[in-house]
Amino acid sequence: MTNPIDGTETPATGFRLVVVSGGTSDPSSTRLLADRIAERTARLAGERAEQVHVSTIDLRDLAAEISSALVSQLLGPKLTRAVATLREADGIIASAPVYKAAPSGLFSSFFHVLDNDLLIGKPVILAATAGTARHALVVDNEMRALFAYLRTLTAPTAVFAASEDWNSGELGARIGRAAFEMLVLLESGFSHKIENESWQRYQHEYGSAGGTELGIDLGTDLMRLATGGSARPTGSS
Amino acid sequence: MPTVLALSSSPSRSSRSAAVAEYAVTALRSGGVDANHLRLRELDPSPLLAADTTHPEIESAVRAVAEADGILLATPTYKAAYSGLLKVFLDLLSQFAFAGKAVLPIATGGSPAHVLSLDYGLRPVVHSLGAWHVLQSLFVLDSQLDEALRPGEQLRSTLEGVLGDFTHALQAPSRTATIARSA
Ligand SMILES: Cc1cc2nc3c(=O)[nH]c(=O)nc-3n(C[C@H](O)[C@H](O)[C@H](O)COP(=O)(O)O)c2cc1C
Repeated sequence: MTNPIDGTETPATGFRLVVVSGGTSDPSSTRLLADRIAERTARLAGERAEQVHVSTIDLRDLAAEISSALVSQLLGPKLTRAVATLREADGIIASAPVYKAAPSGLFSSFFHVLDNDLLIGKPVILAATAGTARHALVVDNEMRALFAYLRTLTAPTAVFAASEDWNSGELGARIGRAAFEMLVLLESGFSHKIENESWQRYQHEYGSAGGTELGIDLGTDLMRLATGGSARPTGSS
Repeated sequence: MPTVLALSSSPSRSSRSAAVAEYAVTALRSGGVDANHLRLRELDPSPLLAADTTHPEIESAVRAVAEADGILLATPTYKAAYSGLLKVFLDLLSQFAFAGKAVLPIATGGSPAHVLSLDYGLRPVVHSLGAWHVLQSLFVLDSQLDEALRPGEQLRSTLEGVLGDFTHALQAPSRTATIARSA
């Protein structure tokens, strides 16, 4: 499929949108909010003859691996899959429950264990649920700050839903605004251009992006030695 | 008798936040506190903006801050933050102007979505001025005041509790120790 804006090719399969939900109850309003934004984005895309594929990272299932990653820096198998899903993501909907006037610890911890450069330039819609409208600024003060650090392209419209908002038309309208922003950001191909044309300009940690962060080939003999492997026997290359 | 200085910081003449400050001052007085209200909009704007603390009006405002045991900060909510007028005044105070003092932040605003602006925006500033005790901040919705800017029944009872805590903080025994340390 050809990008309508700049003619670059996007994957034939459509845009990959990933929902990250920090909700812990079942059913979870935090998950429901993210799903509504994702569905609306997919529907808007359909109206423009584009496709959006949604996958979901439900942090409930990762809680144990996230807490061990926090102390050991080692990623378990589910967390490794989640990181791979995010690396391939074209856009992200990040949805957190507000606990004690802050995004939940599970939600924050998940983003704390990711490599700093994993999400650079990716479009993000922030969403949060809370019991009270009084905590609305948590999204702009805390979540926006976290994603600024991660250098994502965070959409101007965030979606906050207090208990009393669920049946209001205003929430639906806001979801529509956020979904449209996400779609336009996906169409722009911004994150792919950053990754393809400007990746070296960003600060990276060694190994954070499997070697691409430094523009070096970790498969060369020198790099295999430098990273603790052994050089291939001469003549075997 | 403990002293309180209420600083109200709205640029508007018929100000909701000033009305709440005035109500609080009257209530504090009837509770035996020597309370006074300074409306920052009445200070001469050019020495205020130039931080000219030698100007008599600014000098006496700064002295009133220094002499108070407690400071009540009343501000409107503008663009999800406290007023610029309040920041202009706080900026001309010395670095630890609130040392040893109890501080009660109160904002009026139109939307409950901006309640946390006091804790995110104003609280760190008050701490950096060295306040000894910053009380739980109070956000007053415009709808809690009537047309004459008088607090409704619910707000009056909230204020009674909040001002009670504030008065208590003015008299807490550790205050004198803190003042002695900072002297
Ligand atoms: C320029 C301006 C910006 C405002 N922004 C906000 C805002 O972001 N959030 C809010 O809750 N109220 C906002 N309001 C409403 C005022 O905070 C509210 O009416 C307040 O009680 C006014 O206090 P005052 O009468 O002491 O000036 C704004 C008002 C003005 C004039």
